Amino acid sequence: MDTIARCLVLACGNTLRSDDGVGPKLAEWAAERFQKNEDVRVVARQQWTPDLAKDIADADSVLFVDSSLNSIPGRVSLAAVASNRGNGDAATHHLEAHELLGLTRSIYGSIADHAMLLTVGVGSTELGETFSEPVEAALPRARGVLEKAVLRFIQN
Amino acid sequence: MSQTITIDPVTRLEGHGKITIQLNDKGEVEDAHFHVTQVRGFERFSEGRPFYEMPSLMARICGICPVSHLIASAKACEAIMSVRIPHTAAQLRRMLNLAQMVQSHALSFFYLASPDLLLGMEADVKVRNILGVAAAKPELGRAGVGLRRFGQSIIELLGDKRVHPGWVVPGGVTEPLSSEKRDKILAMIPEAYANTGVALGAYKQIADTFKQEIEVFANFPSNYLSLINEDESIEFTDGALRLVDEGGKIIEDGMTAARFPEVIGEAVEPYSYTKFAYYKPLGYPDGSYRVGPLARLNIVKTMGTAKAEKELAEFKGLAAGLVTSSFHYHHARLVEILYGIEKIEEILSDPRILDKHVRATAGVNRLEGTGQAEAPRGVLHHHYKVDEDGKMTWANLVIATGQNNKAMNLGVLQAAKHYVKDGKFTEGMLNRVEAVVRTFDPCLSCSSHAAGQMPLLLELVASDGDVVDRVVRD
Repeated sequence: MDTIARCLVLACGNTLRSDDGVGPKLAEWAAERFQKNEDVRVVARQQWTPDLAKDIADADSVLFVDSSLNSIPGRVSLAAVASNRGNGDAATHHLEAHELLGLTRSIYGSIADHAMLLTVGVGSTELGETFSEPVEAALPRARGVLEKAVLRFIQN
Repeated sequence: MSQTITIDPVTRLEGHGKITIQLNDKGEVEDAHFHVTQVRGFERFSEGRPFYEMPSLMARICGICPVSHLIASAKACEAIMSVRIPHTAAQLRRMLNLAQMVQSHALSFFYLASPDLLLGMEADVKVRNILGVAAAKPELGRAGVGLRRFGQSIIELLGDKRVHPGWVVPGGVTEPLSSEKRDKILAMIPEAYANTGVALGAYKQIADTFKQEIEVFANFPSNYLSLINEDESIEFTDGALRLVDEGGKIIEDGMTAARFPEVIGEAVEPYSYTKFAYYKPLGYPDGSYRVGPLARLNIVKTMGTAKAEKELAEFKGLAAGLVTSSFHYHHARLVEILYGIEKIEEILSDPRILDKHVRATAGVNRLEGTGQAEAPRGVLHHHYKVDEDGKMTWANLVIATGQNNKAMNLGVLQAAKHYVKDGKFTEGMLNRVEAVVRTFDPCLSCSSHAAGQMPLLLELVASDGDVVDRVVRD
């Protein structure tokens, strides 16, 4: 159901495709870590779809959490996300973080004050419910980065 | 020299397909096909599973219409159990199915079709997507997001998950509705009405600008099949099937799920993994028919709800007889969204909806069962056989997209012949050929559910284009 929170943690990934499930795994941890904090809302989806624009519009800040195929396996990265409409090949069933922000701005007229994307480089996206060694080893660092980012957002 | 135009993949569909258009030496369109190119395996790998697992297993076929599969499957299981489910359970399932219809139709109209409808068939392909629509028509973007969330939120409230919910089981549903959940759903209804009004208003403003597309987008007489109630009102979950011919004359009425396999067959064509359903007494392809919103609105006499009733009258006024252009599927979807919201409100206004008796129990009392429901795209049929222990020995699923398959192919050919002339075409012309398929909103992951023996055509082609060997498996 729709709820409003200052910080939205929005994760994406398929838990049946090995390292691609790192986003939902981190979301699971975040939901427990911030369970008692009403300023934080955690949503995990297999794909980021256009209807999530409303969740983003309702938040002051958003932390996207995803795996990255374009990164060294296990590398944890945190970067600001700027809204734009992408390169014209937007898929209906899946949008990138910047496209979701762009969509939110288009239809709701405003976007979150702060938007960051936390990624973990993947080693494997084969069928499976376990992570590769580099991603497994990167989880503590990824949790730390996620925690710091969320705390910074809600303290602003 | 003859030439083949290939559109691969066809975009803004549920699943993966391609279109081929064959031109002759003069550059005229000779033939065209819509190919469903993906293979899945649900019928075969259900064999050996306990029958009561089937609803949750079958729901995994599709992320858009899992509820329809849940319901058709549960009904097939209930035929095996020989039970009648409690009234409240039937109403709760009806509401869940309508919520799914609303979110699926919203996805089809706003996310998949509206880039063509609102930005134009010739619009720059880089902006012809949901982001382009949102930038150009933000109020429609909000309405689309709002209606999709409305349907998904109800599904989540009832079934715990937006995609692949559980809750529907053989015998009814797992738990009753609480008053808190009922009130949450009722609170969402005014906004849903407002969003539907925005969509209907916008569509009616632009529909007249598509006269040419209306004329050639799978615009031909056909048979139609849909569920209908005894009072001739629209029905998505129960009722019985009615088949009408191209003039609206009833060919079959009161068709139960048990009768469906007796009169509906499935043909195979070498170019698609999706079968082609047909009415057996008329044979294939004459017995082909259309299903889904266009069929439903052509067949019913009344919507049974006040707001949608007015819209139905307007819809039926689009033609002197049956509405034959598949372009009007878009309009029909919006009318059905309105009906869905009204019906959900009506269901929730009945105090019996909070009744605690929502599940009947039984074991195996028959070795065969069938179930049917309306998916957003049309009639969905499940047919199971089990052994004495209730283990599945055989399954067959007849999916809406398979029932529309012949009409989609004829529609692609009709549009291709109109838009591709002298071997010349533009991107906008080919987009129109794709857009014909989009009107049906086919779900290709649902339609290619079969495993094991698949229709296959293997051709060995020499460098001069001659086919030197050909293997057909059907």
